Amino acid sequence: MPMPGVTRSRAAAVVALMLVAVALGACQAVDSFYPPAAVTRQGVATRDLYDIVFALAAIVFVVVEALIVYTVVRYRRRPTDIELPPQIHGNNLVEVVWTVIPTIIVGILFVLSWQVLNTVDARSAEPQQAYVRATAARFQWTFQYLDKDGKVLFESLAPELTVPAGENVHLTLQSKDVTHSFYVPQFLFKRDVIPGRENWFDFTIDPQDAGQTFRGQCAQLCGTYHASMIFSVKAVTPAEYDAFIAKGTADAQSTPAPSSATSPGASAGGPPASGVSGGPPIVVTAQNIVFTTQSIEAPANAPFTIQFENQDAGIPHNVVIHGGTSITDPPLFDGEIFSGADSRLYPIPALPAGTYLFSCKVHPNMTGTLTVK
Amino acid sequence: MATTALRPAVPVIRTGLYEWLTTTDHKKIGMMYVVNSFIFFFLGGLLALGVRSELAMPGIQFFKEAEYNQLFTMHASLMLFLFVIPMLAGFGNYVVPLQIGAPDMAFPRINALSFWMLPLGGVLMLSGFLTGSGAAANGWTSYSPLAQAKYSGIGTDLWVLAVLLIGTSSILGAINFLVTIFKMRAPGMTMFRLPIVTWTVLVTSVLVLLATPVLASALIMLFIDRNYGGHFFDPAVGGNAVLWQNIFWFYSHPAVYIMILPAMGIISEVLPVFSRKPLFGYKAFVFATAAIGALGFSVWAHHMFTTGAVYLPFFSLMTFLIAVPTGVKMFNWIATMWRGQLTFSTPMIFALGFLAEFLIGGINGAFSASVPVDFALHDTYWIVAHIHYVLFGGSVFGVFAGIYYWFPKMTGRMLNETLGKVHFVLMFVGTNLTFFPMHQLGLAGMPRRIADYSSTAGWTDLNLVATIGAFTIAFSMLPFLWNVFVSLRSGEIAGDDPWEANTLEWATTSPPPPYNFDHLPDIRSERPVFDLRHGLTGGHRLAPPPAPPTTPPSPTPSEPAPNVLVEA
Amino acid sequence: MSASNPSLSQGSIVHAEPVPHARGGISNPILGMLLFITSEIMFFAGLFAAYFNVRANAPVWPPDEFVGKVHILPFVGPATVLLIVSSFTCQVGVRAIRRGDRTAMNRAIGVTLALGITFLVMQFIDYLSLYADGIRLDSGTFGSTYYTLTGFHGAHVLAGVIMLSVVLYRGSAGQFSERHHDAVEATSLYWHFVDVVWIALFSTLYLLPGH
Ligand code: HEA
Ligand code: HEA
Ligand code: CUA
Ligand SMILES: [Cu+2]
Repeated sequence: MPMPGVTRSRAAAVVALMLVAVALGACQAVDSFYPPAAVTRQGVATRDLYDIVFALAAIVFVVVEALIVYTVVRYRRRPTDIELPPQIHGNNLVEVVWTVIPTIIVGILFVLSWQVLNTVDARSAEPQQAYVRATAARFQWTFQYLDKDGKVLFESLAPELTVPAGENVHLTLQSKDVTHSFYVPQFLFKRDVIPGRENWFDFTIDPQDAGQTFRGQCAQLCGTYHASMIFSVKAVTPAEYDAFIAKGTADAQSTPAPSSATSPGASAGGPPASGVSGGPPIVVTAQNIVFTTQSIEAPANAPFTIQFENQDAGIPHNVVIHGGTSITDPPLFDGEIFSGADSRLYPIPALPAGTYLFSCKVHPNMTGTLTVK
Repeated sequence: MATTALRPAVPVIRTGLYEWLTTTDHKKIGMMYVVNSFIFFFLGGLLALGVRSELAMPGIQFFKEAEYNQLFTMHASLMLFLFVIPMLAGFGNYVVPLQIGAPDMAFPRINALSFWMLPLGGVLMLSGFLTGSGAAANGWTSYSPLAQAKYSGIGTDLWVLAVLLIGTSSILGAINFLVTIFKMRAPGMTMFRLPIVTWTVLVTSVLVLLATPVLASALIMLFIDRNYGGHFFDPAVGGNAVLWQNIFWFYSHPAVYIMILPAMGIISEVLPVFSRKPLFGYKAFVFATAAIGALGFSVWAHHMFTTGAVYLPFFSLMTFLIAVPTGVKMFNWIATMWRGQLTFSTPMIFALGFLAEFLIGGINGAFSASVPVDFALHDTYWIVAHIHYVLFGGSVFGVFAGIYYWFPKMTGRMLNETLGKVHFVLMFVGTNLTFFPMHQLGLAGMPRRIADYSSTAGWTDLNLVATIGAFTIAFSMLPFLWNVFVSLRSGEIAGDDPWEANTLEWATTSPPPPYNFDHLPDIRSERPVFDLRHGLTGGHRLAPPPAPPTTPPSPTPSEPAPNVLVEA
Repeated sequence: MSASNPSLSQGSIVHAEPVPHARGGISNPILGMLLFITSEIMFFAGLFAAYFNVRANAPVWPPDEFVGKVHILPFVGPATVLLIVSSFTCQVGVRAIRRGDRTAMNRAIGVTLALGITFLVMQFIDYLSLYADGIRLDSGTFGSTYYTLTGFHGAHVLAGVIMLSVVLYRGSAGQFSERHHDAVEATSLYWHFVDVVWIALFSTLYLLPGH
């Protein structure tokens, strides 16, 4: 129905006021329509591209939205409109115009994007580079520092990646289980970490950002605790980085190098040995997303207690005892999930003699054996 | 009294309910589609309110992480598979046979079968909530290996089976639509006189026919992986994680057009009627629809830009190009209103809402077509903003335009205009309040699908705004439901053609009789009912036609058209 | 429900001009079947895509442990021949009913049905021997793709066999005539489709050289 009381000018004034209000609000919040300031060379290129895309998009938006508003206000049916308006069925010329103009706009956007893509997604040829590898596993990041040939110098279990500012960093990405994504908002970049496939990307942090730490987060749904898969990237000067690598390498060599798989570096004095049998609690320890207690024994047909030590700060684990030796066997016991570093006492019901698989519900790859006899 | 009662001619249970349960009438089935879809819309909406409540503040308040993941997975699955797709199919069911002058769909019993698979599929999917390990929680995209048996429980199996069932329903429905449209048109109803809704249903059906079976194959392979030791999608046993993504998106990108094209059709029906003008550029519109459908099959990898496993420039270019035919539609809509005589009944304002909102959703989608920009935006709340501007601002506004537009035809009564406008205002404000801040959240680096965020991340205020907006949307449903409830009983009687519309469904009674038409008017253009009202010349000359003397001076659209169809 | 409304059809349409285009051509059920077959083709396309993907990703194909374990003889090759022949016999049946010769149709459809069942039996025996050889659904990507592709094809043959049985039953009951035999045409289309899929499968799984 037409709005009889409202004259055209008043309607226009209302619309204009609303537009002004929106524009004012938009000006204030304009920063929030841009991604954060980029800290990598690649990110800066993306940010420049974003600015162009945003400007063109804003123009298209304003023009089209204004056309809509204008049409609606201008062509309201008035009480005098009794005869039909001209019955226009179309016009080939304007169809061509509004096909060609958007084609040109998207053509420009495509070419610009492609050019930037060749900067952002390219392998650097610089002689001086840092080589690092991120490994994602539910729900934790670990970082390995490599030499030129890809040999692991040492591994850091804290979810913090240290890189030199001003030098190209070649980051390879590996997953131990499901798909994750390495995302640092201030890089304006993310790359998926896909099992069965080694992804990589190169980045160079602006030299003046040395000393800063950037927040990163897993961006691909990887299960229950996807939200807590957080890490950080610390930029240091190249000199500090060299020192960091030298120290890490030396530390790793001085440790009696277990099998390269687990717990190198820091935590000296491994977990208490297992094999406790009989009365008091049986200790099971989890560290670095593996059960460092690989096998335990318990008496048959008598209830017993498991003292579960979760030593992974911020990472949830539990103990599930399965009715057989396969992870698909139904659980006989399913302990409370809790985040480390912490411990719980699990009361286990009496079990008949036999071999049982135990696992962590959060990380099906974490397993061990329980022998009951 | 003779107790040797003969067999009663009609069993007593042949009541109204029985009639609905066994009907093969396309109109009844169409209405059941609509009602069923609304039920799932409210359920899906309730889950969304759960999501928004949890995200309103940092910290875990209402739902633990594992439950949160079920919430958004089921929210999206219900909204997409059990609300939008069936809702639009429901409109198609109701409207297409009427618009082409057919007595029913080509295969009425298969049509009933397609419908009944939907509530079954819905119950199957929701029953996951009753299992010990909960409903599916892998996102509606169900990426493998996360969706493998070792990481997710029986809820995922139920989800897979439910989506298979719903997909089968879609495929059967698509075949039915295509045969109906190709074979059952009334004399005179040439392809280029088909109403646009029918055209969009046609193109949508082609998309369903070509894309949905591919999803079915992927779901079956996933099911084999999970239950019979298959090795398709889990790299730990030699499969390929990216393969799932490729096949899934090969379906799911065309699927997003399945979810919008009929809504665009509805808009293209409503705008001309309330502008008193024909659709501008009918043929351009048809070709644009077909072009969107065709291009839709060559852009799937834009969901996989960050995998590093697809050829980026090609998919970037194709994705950008889809903006062109969509733009053609947008401009044709505006040109339809240009120099028209617009009246603002509720269907029309919802259609205008569609234009304003879908424009935002289309443009923020085009950001992602630029690969480097998508590297930054992918899997952040920017994408959630895109999803909802196209699907809520687009499809849902289109759906409500359709409801307000065809409710008089379906029930014989008008909906209340004031309540309709209250509904619109609340919903429009709520939509922007909910989904606009998500752009900023995404730019600020908030990933999607997280149950919790740090209070130091700076995302708290915007999340609170979004939550308030979500409850505003939910609140806007109250006037709507009240409107339906009241109008069904005591709404104004609609008459055959309350809107002075163009297409054949308005040439029969409201609601139409079984088999739809006692008489059909001549069909000489894409606006047979307009021709009937104003004379054929009016539809085909550029000059303004002389107003028929019967047209009342009052522009009130509720004046029922004189029932003179046969004389034409 | 239509009692109150006797004029159901469009009988009273006034044709002011001749019908601008005749909607003759194929009947609704046959068009429906063609569209259904289109969707089935897309379904198999998904399975084939998965097959070629895992195949291309494997370092060698077939994997060493399966080399020489899937045999064309004694079962699969002959079964292939039978299935191809059955397409022809099916077509003979269609031709017969188009002439109005129901007896000949029944005979031809009966032969087709027998061939189809034989195909299924032979495939089943072949499965048994493969299974005994240690090739299972869970035997790596090879086993998964092999059984999924051939298994789904088998399920479609089974569906075709059921449709043929219905046609045969109705034919023996005296249904179908020269003018009215959509079900026969539709079933035969489906049967040809099943046959063509098998030819594609056979060529891919048995003839395409590995790497
Ligand atoms: C109705 C559903 C719908 C529709 C219509 C669209 C339409 C479009 N979508 Fe959207 N999309 C989704 C539903 C939809 N999408 C969903 C659900 C997801 C998320 C899936 C998930 O991960 O869960 C998604 C994700 C998604 C992505 C992946 C993002 C990511 O995960 O990183 C991309 C990337 O390119 C994309 C692009 C587009 C484009 C270019 C269009 C175009 O069709 C839009 C074209 C329209 C316009 C551009 C506006 C009108 C045009 C003009 C006025 C002309 C002038 C314009 C220009 C010159 C720019 N979409
Ligand atoms: C058509 C599709 C559709 C629709 C309509 C909606 C509607 C809404 N969506 Fe949805 N959404 C998706 C499709 C849709 N969404 C998809 C595809 C995803 C991606 C999922 C994924 O990542 O896998 C998503 C994800 C998604 C997220 C991101 C979750 C995350 O990543 O963690 C959020 C967060 O706010 C959200 C919010 C909302 C809200 C607030 C609404 C509101 O509009 C809802 C409004 C509320 C109602 C309509 C309820 C009304 C009910 C009542 C008032 C009660 C009455 C009850 C009875 C009568 C029984 N959605
Ligand atoms: Cu890892 Cu999300
Ligand atoms: Cu897409």
